[in-house]
Amino acid sequence: MNELRRAWLITLKDLRLEFRTGGRLLAMIAFVVLAGFLFAFALDQSQVAGRDVAAALIWLVILFASTAGAGRIFDAEEEEGAFRHLLLTPVSRPAIFLGKTAANLAVIWLVTALAFISLTAFLGVRDTGSPAAHAAVFLPGTIGLAATGTFFGRMSRHSSLGDTLLPVLTFPLLVPVIFFGATSTARVFLGRPWPEISGSARLLWAFAVGSVFIGAALFRHVTDE
Amino acid sequence: MSTKGRIAGLALVTAGVATILLVHWMVAFWVPNEAAQGVVQRIFYVHVPAAWTTFLAVGIVAIASAVYLWLEDERADAAAVAAAEGALIFGAIMLITGPLWGRIAWGTYWEWEPRLTLTLLLWFTYLGYFLVRSSVADPRRGKRFAAVVAVVGSLNIPLIHVSVEWFRSLHPEAVVIKPEGPTLPSDMLATLLTSLAGFTMLFLGLFTFRYAVERLRRRTPPTATGETDEALI
Repeated sequence: MNELRRAWLITLKDLRLEFRTGGRLLAMIAFVVLAGFLFAFALDQSQVAGRDVAAALIWLVILFASTAGAGRIFDAEEEEGAFRHLLLTPVSRPAIFLGKTAANLAVIWLVTALAFISLTAFLGVRDTGSPAAHAAVFLPGTIGLAATGTFFGRMSRHSSLGDTLLPVLTFPLLVPVIFFGATSTARVFLGRPWPEISGSARLLWAFAVGSVFIGAALFRHVTDE
Repeated sequence: MSTKGRIAGLALVTAGVATILLVHWMVAFWVPNEAAQGVVQRIFYVHVPAAWTTFLAVGIVAIASAVYLWLEDERADAAAVAAAEGALIFGAIMLITGPLWGRIAWGTYWEWEPRLTLTLLLWFTYLGYFLVRSSVADPRRGKRFAAVVAVVGSLNIPLIHVSVEWFRSLHPEAVVIKPEGPTLPSDMLATLLTSLAGFTMLFLGLFTFRYAVERLRRRTPPTATGETDEALI
């Protein structure tokens, strides 16, 4: 069985666990909807147009939800030592990382779709632009979020600071994702041509590929006893 | 700490402090005003060396951390901790002097432009480095996690360097390390190089002492409570 197949099996196992227990997923979904609701209330739309800030708020909600969820990726497996048993199986650390990142990514995609729909609705963004252009921006951006969250989520499990540590470690690294993601999404909302967006999308892809490779290469240092 | 190490550390700190005092005299009485910015540009002779020293320290942390991850050698981790403290202190000097200069030169204390933002984020990454170390119960694991944070954080350094060229920025471009050679007038260049030497010597001296203290702390036997007795150092 090759490593990618093993990673895929870990993804399926994690997703099955995620949907059976449902706690983390439900909490993230509730967070996204409530955050969108609160942003819409907090924003004085007679002074600031919702459309002008929607892109930034969507990315921030995705960032906060994925960070809150990342702290819980390994929770279920930590009980009864299941993660330790996973480490004892003949699956390489990069394959475990890739499998868990892919499962985390699937959850983040769900959160992203929900954040996009709820915030554009709450903030009154009627013309959202090209779906293909949004996909080309959100795909690499969420891969970067998932890989970084999975990697540092493992680290925060062993910290007495717990989930408080996670934003301190991840936010400085994720600034490029938020910056290029939010500016690109804002341009898609405005219906700008693809050449104005492609530069940021390429940088998001560079971050996504870099974070997956670096995470896979260094994952054994945050898992081995 | 060996006698040689103590003499080297003391010599570096003394030479560093003396050179920085000389630089302050040069800045106050010798170097001329920069034509466009006037007297405020003189903060350049503290800001740039502080930035250089920060990146030198960050480079040492990154290399020492990579070596620690590879060999799990305690000396590499001690060197990384000693340099990381230097990175935080000199980074704080850089982040304080930059806005003071910017207030007059740009009319604002802070501008969310790439080099400033990435440098601030690098500083926060190193804050995270110490948080990770102190918050993980198993010391060996804490060291390994901190080394990972340092290696990942160091990837920011090349990005900070090229950010001025890549993105439109208020931050001045390099005036010393350029393909066509330094474009700074000779008296300003002399003051800057003297300051760079002073800051580098001071950092290396402090680094030598801090490394020795860290090594000593790890060799000190634990007390009855299981804690290393800091008072013995």
